[in-house]
Amino acid sequence: MLLEGFSTALQPVYLLYALGGVFVGTAVGVLPGIGPAMTVALLMPITYALDPAAALIVFAGIYYGGMYGGSTTSILLNTPGESSSIVTALEGNKMAKAGRGAAALATAAIGSFIAGTIATVLLSFLAPVVAELAVGLGPVDYVALMVVAFLTVGALLGASVLRGLASLALGLFIGMIGIDDSTAQQRFTFDNPTLVDGVDMVLVAVGLFALGEALYVASKLRHGPVEVIPVSKGKNGWLSKDDWKRSWKPWLRGTFIGFPIGTVPAGGADVSTFLSYAAERKLAKGPNKAQFGKGAIEGVAGPEAANNAAAAGVLVPLLTLGIPTTATAAMMLTAFQRYQIQPGPLLFENQGALVWTLIASLYVGNLMLLVLNLPLVGLWVKILQIPRPYLYAGILVFAALGAFSVNFAAADVGILLVVGILGYFMRRYGYPVAPMVVAMILGPMFEVQLRRSLQLSQNDPSALFSSPFAVVVYVSMALIFVGSWWLRRRQAALEAAPMKDKLPV
Amino acid sequence: MSVHVSTPAKRPTGEILFALVFVSVGAAGLLTAGSIPIPPSETGIGPRAFPYIVCSMLVLVGTGIVAQVLRGKVGQAEESEDLDAAAKTDWVALAKLVGFVVLHIFLIEPAGWPVAAAVLFSGAAWSLEAKPLWKAVIISVVLALVLQYVFGGLLGVSLPPGPLLEGVPFFNG
Repeated sequence: MLLEGFSTALQPVYLLYALGGVFVGTAVGVLPGIGPAMTVALLMPITYALDPAAALIVFAGIYYGGMYGGSTTSILLNTPGESSSIVTALEGNKMAKAGRGAAALATAAIGSFIAGTIATVLLSFLAPVVAELAVGLGPVDYVALMVVAFLTVGALLGASVLRGLASLALGLFIGMIGIDDSTAQQRFTFDNPTLVDGVDMVLVAVGLFALGEALYVASKLRHGPVEVIPVSKGKNGWLSKDDWKRSWKPWLRGTFIGFPIGTVPAGGADVSTFLSYAAERKLAKGPNKAQFGKGAIEGVAGPEAANNAAAAGVLVPLLTLGIPTTATAAMMLTAFQRYQIQPGPLLFENQGALVWTLIASLYVGNLMLLVLNLPLVGLWVKILQIPRPYLYAGILVFAALGAFSVNFAAADVGILLVVGILGYFMRRYGYPVAPMVVAMILGPMFEVQLRRSLQLSQNDPSALFSSPFAVVVYVSMALIFVGSWWLRRRQAALEAAPMKDKLPV
Repeated sequence: MSVHVSTPAKRPTGEILFALVFVSVGAAGLLTAGSIPIPPSETGIGPRAFPYIVCSMLVLVGTGIVAQVLRGKVGQAEESEDLDAAAKTDWVALAKLVGFVVLHIFLIEPAGWPVAAAVLFSGAAWSLEAKPLWKAVIISVVLALVLQYVFGGLLGVSLPPGPLLEGVPFFNG
């Protein structure tokens, strides 16, 4: 099956699409302030006119490229940004300042490639198995899985539990606007014809991620020249023998930390990079250990590998259960739905050719990234140096383009603006936006499954705990919450440590 | 590098108002959910139950945040690469940006997408103090035409070219 996927993905035209996707994905991902979710959201319009296979190939490229681009940003830019690459910034940024930027970029690139490839192999083997098992899941089991997805995204990941839940609830509310899936009744449409079809996911995602971020940054823009740390060429430029020796174990460890965390709905990239960083810090010995906080290569290699492995892991629940566990995965699901592809247990049966093409193009994209990324560092640095007024003006134009091209209606750009202003205030007051996006796409599915479960049990709520699988899921969730409480305390201790180094300057 | 100093807002009025938005959306939802028609054939919990759950959640969580803020636990503003955390909010720039997006919306149909996009880009660049202005205007025109060509012409996304470019074939899919 995978071979058939390759035979499609390796056609010259599709290779070109993959190259285009990877290139554009990285270029946009490099832009400061643009995370992987926003990259996918912003680039959605470029696939509108493509056939499904080509669109999925482009998305595979954008997905990995966007992840990749973020690490370049955090290593070379003086100020850390996106959360999934923030751990990379801890050590990578220090390495760059010490003139070892090229080595940091190289270990990140090779680590991402190795982790991405291993994780994609795992995905190819695991996904069909999980899909087969998932065929037997009933509505009660789906309710359990989605409750876990909601609570981990909403309550577990952000700094404030209440704000995460508020964002989640608002996403659920917006998801209800329109026609009820089960009874075809209008809800919260206020007889407004534009609301009857519901609020389009793309508008909300682009509004929250792109417009909201642009407005937020604009409100407190750092003026003056952009400080990019120069990348040295010459003998410091490439990985030394010692660097290789110090990198390969963290790459592998990062992979096997990242992939499982990506597959369970417990946080995706963020958690995995942090765990990998903590593990490397603990395992380092002697002088290497002393380098942590001052530019230890292990602290770049491990988390970068974990980040990419988690990105592949997230695709397991997305493809086999149809459940996105990160904002980026929610965007991928939106893209699939545009092509009438409904991820879930039956996906591999109904749309086998397409799925395997997607998986094959993940391999291809990963290889392309490795080949592209290192020689093009000069270009990424140029992109980082784009004057900020132009950068954010460009983001606004692209967001408006994306919103307009959903239905070719100017009124949609109006909805985009409203959501963008909402996104601005959410950032200003510390509300995470990811739960809202995930809730908006999962909410309607959750409601359908919930109502189905209760209908089967004549409205007896205890039925929600009737299946052994659901009980296992709820118990694991409780364990995850306890574990995260412990992790959070560790993280607080870790974050306090590098701060101490900074203070006496 | 600047060490992060968290400067708590003097009076968190804005934050409380924003939390109240969540409460009022939930309250409005609770009030109107009762008018969602239930088809007579319905045997399950029906189309009203989930709205009631979600709206109650909005009211409860929003109220909880208001209580937290009043007790002094304000939210942590998000960080970003290009953000000067110590800077004061530039409301004028924000208003200008929102204004240009609104202008863009009203220009798309009559003037065509490229014109609307060029106005949005140069307006936004000007709001963010791009210098010199003529350079921003030139970039905006080039960008708008390139996007129109790539999306309208090559990718077949039907962006209205507007009266100025109506006759140019490669701007239309």
